[in-house]
Formats: sequence, C-alpha cells, structure tokens
Amino acid sequence: MTTQSLHPRVQVVWVLRAVIVAAVLSLPFAGAFYLGRLPRWAPAAAGGAFLTLGVVHAVLKYRRWSYEIREDALYLDRGVITQVRTTVPLVRIQHVDSRRGPVERGVGLASCVVYTAGSRGADVRIPGLTPGGASDLREELKRLAIRADGEDAV
Amino acid sequence: MKLAPQSVPYRALQKVSGFVVIAFFIVNSNDWGLPAAAAAGGAILLVALAYEVAYYRRFAYELTADTLDISSGVISRREREIPYRRIQNVDVSQSVIQRAITIAAVDLETAGGSSTEGSIRFVKPDEATRIRREVQRRKSGSSAGEGGAVDGTADVRETAAADRDAVGPEEEELFAISPGELALVGALSFDGRLIGLLAFLSSGSVPVLSGFIPEASAVALTATAIVAVGGLFLVSWVLGAGVAFSNYYGFRLSRAGDELRYERGLFRRYSGSIPTEKVQTLTVSDNPAKRALGYASLSIETAGYAPGQSGDGGSQAAVPIATTDRVYRLAHEVESFGTPTFSRPPKRIRWRYVVRYAMVVAVLVGVAFAVDWYVTPDLPWYGPAVLLLAVPPAAHLKWKHRGYWLGDDHLLTRNGFWSRTVTVVPYYRIQTVIDSRTIFQRRWDVATVVADTAGSSSLAGTSAAAVDFELDEAIELRETLQERLQSSLASHRDRRDRFEWFEGGVDETVEPNRDADAADAADAADADADADVDNVDIADAEDPTEPADTGSAVGATDPAESADAAGIPDADRGRERTEAPVDDGAASEDVDDADTDHPDDAHTDDAEDAHTDDETGTEIPDDGVIRPDFSTSDRDYSEPAERIDTGDYAVDRFPSDADVARRDDGPEAETDDSAESDDSAESDDSAESDDSAESDDSAESDDSAESDDETDETEK
Repeated sequence: MTTQSLHPRVQVVWVLRAVIVAAVLSLPFAGAFYLGRLPRWAPAAAGGAFLTLGVVHAVLKYRRWSYEIREDALYLDRGVITQVRTTVPLVRIQHVDSRRGPVERGVGLASCVVYTAGSRGADVRIPGLTPGGASDLREELKRLAIRADGEDAV
Repeated sequence: MKLAPQSVPYRALQKVSGFVVIAFFIVNSNDWGLPAAAAAGGAILLVALAYEVAYYRRFAYELTADTLDISSGVISRREREIPYRRIQNVDVSQSVIQRAITIAAVDLETAGGSSTEGSIRFVKPDEATRIRREVQRRKSGSSAGEGGAVDGTADVRETAAADRDAVGPEEEELFAISPGELALVGALSFDGRLIGLLAFLSSGSVPVLSGFIPEASAVALTATAIVAVGGLFLVSWVLGAGVAFSNYYGFRLSRAGDELRYERGLFRRYSGSIPTEKVQTLTVSDNPAKRALGYASLSIETAGYAPGQSGDGGSQAAVPIATTDRVYRLAHEVESFGTPTFSRPPKRIRWRYVVRYAMVVAVLVGVAFAVDWYVTPDLPWYGPAVLLLAVPPAAHLKWKHRGYWLGDDHLLTRNGFWSRTVTVVPYYRIQTVIDSRTIFQRRWDVATVVADTAGSSSLAGTSAAAVDFELDEAIELRETLQERLQSSLASHRDRRDRFEWFEGGVDETVEPNRDADAADAADAADADADADVDNVDIADAEDPTEPADTGSAVGATDPAESADAAGIPDADRGRERTEAPVDDGAASEDVDDADTDHPDDAHTDDAEDAHTDDETGTEIPDDGVIRPDFSTSDRDYSEPAERIDTGDYAVDRFPSDADVARRDDGPEAETDDSAESDDSAESDDSAESDDSAESDDSAESDDSAESDDETDETEK
C-alpha cells in the first residue's frame, strides 16, 4: 500500500471546527466591546485573525497528513506545529473502530480509530475517510491484526 | 468458593461507619435525643448488614481449569471469567483491623479496563495465598509454551519446578530492606505535595490569627513567616518519613520460578506476585541526594494497574532504595540488559536548554517585577536573576543526563537533570513508536523518539523517550526499534511454536507428580478440578503429534500405504484406521485401557468428530501443522448464519485459531496413545480393514464408525 492522503473534504470539517474555536476565542473581545472597553472593530478583527490562523492550520494539516499500511505496521505522519510520526505495529492492535460524528456525517466522511494497549498512543485516529473507505480500512486492519497473531498484543 | 464470614460485619461497618457518625451528629444536634440518634444509626447499620449478607450469599468465585470465575452482585448481577493467562498480577493486602480479624483483600489485575478486574473482598489470609499460588500454577500450566524451556535440560528443570511449586514454592530472595536503608528511605522521602497541602490547610487559619496580632512589625512578621515555613517543611518531612517508613517496613522482593513476589508494610501489609513475563518496563531513578550517597530506586511496571490507581502510581513492587550497583543487579535479575553505554544528544543542544532555562528565569523576574509594581515598590524584584548563574550548569546536566542505548533485547533511555531516570524497555514490549518534532525542535534539527509501552507510569510522562536527537538519528532509531520489535516478536513466536512439539513430553513426565500433589495439597473439590485440568492438558499436549504418529505408525508397517497416509486429507479417517483394530479385534484391551479411564470421552468425541471432521474436511499439510484459514469469507453478515445441526455440541465450523482445530480431535489422542502398542501388533489387520474402507465411499466409512460406536455401547 502506498502512502495515502486524506479526502480533501476533511478540510471542511477542520475549517468548521476552526470557526467554532475562533468564535469562542473572540467572545472575551466581544464582551469587552459590550462593556465599552474596546472599539467596535476589535472583536471582528480578533475573530478574523483567529479564523485565518485556523483555516491556514486546517489546510496545512491536510497537506501534512498521510498514512500508510506497510507489511507489519501502520505508519502515520501528521501535525503542523508539532510534527508527529507514529508507528503502530499491527500485532499491537487491540481493536478498530470506524466512526462518524455529526459534522463528518454532514460532509459525508468518516474516520477510523485504532486502539492499542499503550498509554500514550493508545488511540490513533485517521480522519477524512469516505464511509466505505473507513469500513474497508477497518476490515483490512482487523484482518492484518488477526494475521499478525494477537497472542502478543500486550 | 465463598468469602470469609467475618467479612460481612467488616464490610458493613466499613461502608456505613462514616455515614453513621455524620447521621449521629445531625440527629444529636437537632436535640431529638440520644435514643433517636442511636435508633437511626442502628437502622442504617442493619440495612447495611442485610445488604452485606446478601452480597456474601451471592458472591462466589471458582478456580476452573483455565479461568477464574467470579459471580457477584446483589441488585445487578455479574458473572465474570478471567482467563489465567491474561492476569497481570495478583495483590493481597491487609490493614491492621483486617489482620486482627484475619481477613485479606485479593486484587487481580488484567491489562484492560480502568479498574481492578477481579477484586475479592475478603477471604482468609491462607485462602488468599492459595488463590495467588493456584493462579500462578494454573497460568504456567495453561501457557506452558511461553515458559521459554527449549531444550531437554530446561524441560527437566521446569518439571522439577512445577513439582516443587505444588508443594511449596521455593523462593529465592532478591532484596530485603535493611534497617539502615529503611531509615534512609524515611529521611529522603520529602514529599513536596504535603507542603502544598499543609500550606493550603494552614492558610485557612491566617485570617483568624491576623486578628490576634495587633501591631506586628515587618521584622516580626517576616520572622514568623520564616518559622512557619520552616515548621511546615519539618512537619511535611516528618510526615513523609513516617508514611515511607510504614509503607516500606519489611520490604522484601523475591523470585519464585517465573514470578516475582513482594511484601511490605508496617500497618497495612501488602503482598503480591508479578509474573516476569508480564513485566513491561523497569525504571531506575535517583535524585542528587541519592546520587551523592550512591543510592537509587527501582520500580517494576506491569500493564495491570490503571493510571492513578493504588497510590504509588501503580508500581507496588518498587524497591524504594538500594545502592546503585545493587539496583542494577536487581534490574538484571528481572531483565538482563547488559551494560549500557548511553549516546548523548548533540552538544549544541545545550544552547537550547540555556535559552529555555533563561526564559524561565526571565518569567520569574517578570512576575517578581509585577508583584513589586503592584504591591510595594521597595522589594528587590531583580532577585530571581541570580538564578541565571545556575542556568549553564543546569543546561549542561540536562544534556549530560539525556541519552539512549540500544541493547540486544532492550532499549534504555535516560532523562532528567534533577532526578535522573533510566527506563528499560524490552523491544518485545514496545506498543507504538512515535517520533515528534515540535516547532522549536525543528529550529535545532532535532527530534524526540518515544517508545510507548502498556506500562502504567507512561501517563505520568516517564515513558521511554530519547529526547533531542539529530533528525536522521531519530528516524533511524524509530526504524530500528520497529525492526527489532518485529524480530523479537518472531523469535518469541518461534520459541512458542517450537515448544508445542515438546509439550507432550513435558506433560507426560509432569503428569503423575501433579496428580499426586493436587490430591494431597488441595481439598477434595479442588482435586477434582485438577484432574480436569490434567485431562485437558494431556489432550492438548498430545494432539499435535497425533497425526504424525498415526501416519508414521501405519507407514512403517506398510510401505505401500505410507504415501497414501500422507495424502489422506482427513484426520478423522487416519484415526479411524488406528481405532478400527481396537474395536474389532481387541475388545478386552479396549475395556481395560482407554475406556475404563475415560468411558465418556471415548464415545462422545468419537461421535462428534465423525460429524465435524467429515464436514469441514480439515486438511493436514505435509509438515503436520494445521494453520488457520484467513481467507475472507464472502458471507453476508446481515443474514443469520446457516445452522448446522451438531446435536448437543457447539462446534465452530471455521475455527479461527489453529489450537482449536487441533483440540477438536484432542481427547482422541489418549485412545491413540494407549492403543499404540495394539496398533503395531495388529497392523496387518488394520491395513486390511482400512484398505477396504478406503476403496469404499466415505458414507460407508462413516457407517462403520457409527457401527463401531454401537458395538462399543453394547459392550458397555
């Protein structure tokens, strides 16, 4: 399997999330404006700045994200500010979920979560998959995990 | 098995004592008088007692052949089966009161879940010991393949160990704390959290006290503050020392076979066992005080404890203090990792730490300045700047203490400039490998590689991490770890698989001993269970060799047949061949040998196998190993499965596990074994009858098998 990137529409999910975060972060500015401490443009400017950052982050995150199933492990490469590469040996997979949140359902996407017994990388989420793709990936990982002998899972 | 009867009143009192006291005070303060209060308290106690009696009656646990079954629950009932080989560790604890009324709490941990999976509260202490021993014994019985005995001598030793184990485990002491060390533990266990707590508690009294200090001069105030802080330190130090003393009083770590045992505690006694094969990581840590005195401490992590559980961060079997070389000797006893030579990060990285610590100092100065500006304008706010002097040595130490080392079977990492921690991770235990570069690390072209394990302390941030290594080196390290994990997995699997072929031999020798031991060591009911275990064992052990045996036996007698035997797709038919003579000719032998021992097995399994094996048609490859079928089925899982009538038996048509496939014809092995002599004696006979069976269609051979059964039954 070659390196896979995510579905481009996942950016919509992340941008929507950025909008919500920007709205929450600019609330104090709006409050300050309401109390007359700040001029009218301040909340809008703050909101705009946060939103821009969020959108840029989402786009960069999409470009950065990739995953790959190799012979004996699942490789993930992701992260904008902190770049993280994770290797999940297939032997260590405990169980696999495919899930769809409300926003993901809205844009017709799904994600796949891989669980291991580890404490730090205990659950690894692969977002931005088509619903069919998520189920396929889940089945594929399940099959590979069984083949890799679950006797050694812990 | 039931709980100890004393546990009923104890549990009841334990649950309601606080509540009763509170209720008593409330009722009393409402001046309804003492009788009402007593009545209310008594009523609550009665309810609790009734509940506990019900709990006692409902609670039952049983040590079956390969699981520990616990059924419990008064209102919602729960039946839980814990497979022995999934149990990570067993802990037994007794508080002072529990010791007085001779009960103990047993906790069994498995890797999953957030809480203790099997908690038995409370049983008699010797029963607790028995549970611990039995769990260990049966676990090593059920997963003998992982024991690591490969060659003949090891087998013998293992047999001997199993032999001794049933009578009384032989313990080899690894570490016992000496009074001097205990005193040192107390002296060095200064708990910073206690200061915080005490400061928080005592700060409540400040407003009250300030009313009593009318016109205190600044000097007097400062003096009081210094005395108060000093007192605080002293009190928390004494408390910390006391807690550590009572925790580690009589600490003892020993090794019995393939498990570690520990016990400790002055008021509350803890004891328990950790199978060495479940050890996830070892951590050796020290701080400047310990380093100066040449001491260090060791903790042993398993996957059993959930984070934050059981006070000490999970690790119950932590050696609190010992001289450094002794700590390393102990660590080598558990995991032999050789002599580490750590490789350090690049030297330039020290500048990163200098910058980081300088920024911390700058922030401190800033805070001091803000306080000064806000409160009184006279304090020397630039005071914290003195700390800048400490920055270069700190940065150097931090760099000096960082490092990693790749051993033959282990990854060692070292971190921390104040309290230094060395983490030992066997490659075999690595769960995921993560390498990450923060935005700051990228400026320096360095990366961090974390080897995550299922150990519990990783959440607290002490997982094995090689921090701030060159980018190329980090990537290489990640790849290496991944490779070594795979090769260690392969070697483990190899060892396990190879061992299965020896298992038959081992168990045969173990067999009589075990039976005898079980009979005199355990009580009658238990002996029954044990006999069961042994039956299963022998069946398990022998079946891998079974097809090969029949094949060779037949082949030896009739060369023409041997090619045929190898090519026969049906295990069942191969077996019938050996059975046929038994049933036909030697009825007397049949009765005295196999059937007297296991009259039921022989029949039922025969009948069952005739069904299942013919239907699935399990093929035996040339090497005699039946491998699971991983081809994906095109079954539509939204439809119910097609039903197969197997009579009273639940049969897996497509066993997902090679063991299961072999186990199917397991009990047959015994008949085989006993009939082996017959086999050779009557080989001519059998060859003849088989030939005829062969030429006929399978339906007829089925028929013949059934008729054999019938004759068997009529004989009975």
